[in-house]
Amino acid sequence: MVESVGIPTVTLSVIRSMTDATPGPRNVFLRFRLGQVFGEPGDVAQQQAVLRRALAAVEEVRETGGVIELPYRWKRERYPPPVGVAG
Amino acid sequence: MARWWNRFQSKIFARARWLSERYGRRAGSFDDIPLPHLAPLRRPLRESRVAVVTAGGVHLADQPPFDMVDPEGDASYRVIPRAVNPDELRITHDYYDHAAADRDVNCVLPLDRLEELARAGEIGSVAPRHVGMMGHLSGAALGLLVDRSAAEIARLFQEDAVDLVLAVPG
Repeated sequence: MVESVGIPTVTLSVIRSMTDATPGPRNVFLRFRLGQVFGEPGDVAQQQAVLRRALAAVEEVRETGGVIELPYRWKRERYPPPVGVAG
Repeated sequence: MARWWNRFQSKIFARARWLSERYGRRAGSFDDIPLPHLAPLRRPLRESRVAVVTAGGVHLADQPPFDMVDPEGDASYRVIPRAVNPDELRITHDYYDHAAADRDVNCVLPLDRLEELARAGEIGSVAPRHVGMMGHLSGAALGLLVDRSAAEIARLFQEDAVDLVLAVPG
């Protein structure tokens, strides 16, 4: 609906079967827990990494309903250092 | 069904990925709603204004909580201002384990992370208004979301000159 008025949308998901059944126009899937799609509480580096990749999907998904799967493995991952942190 | 049962189930689902996947396979699809053509991003990401719609049941403390009694769910939505203090936010949602998001709402509504990316020049700006709703809709509630709430949300983002919307599950 938002896409139909000309604003691109990216939909995140942690349940692949849901994405396959009810995809949005652009989809980003990752194997994280329900309720923690951006990662762990307080983990700024992890949350920024997921957010950055989700935003990038707006230009990476080329056809409607397309899915990009992020490779992140929760804690077993080295995330880039956080940017833009105040103080 | 009692609310404690839904909350208990949500704890189990959060820890057993295969259960969630099985739920998703049984949940059906929106085959009757065709996907729209992709709207192009109007300006580069580093100049774009970004808004978030979270289905994590997030609302302000002084807004009415989502309806957890109607088995079809609650198709209404809450407008969340960008400059909200985390203490003013509440999560009402029995169908996923939000213990982590209660501690750090960025797990489902990453406004602080967006501010940081804006400060670092990776996006243009953070939209002034974001939207909290709940997933887990079916029947009439799902129809209401599609027919009414979604159009209102789209209009709100148009008014705020939003360039890109992230839709986040609970």
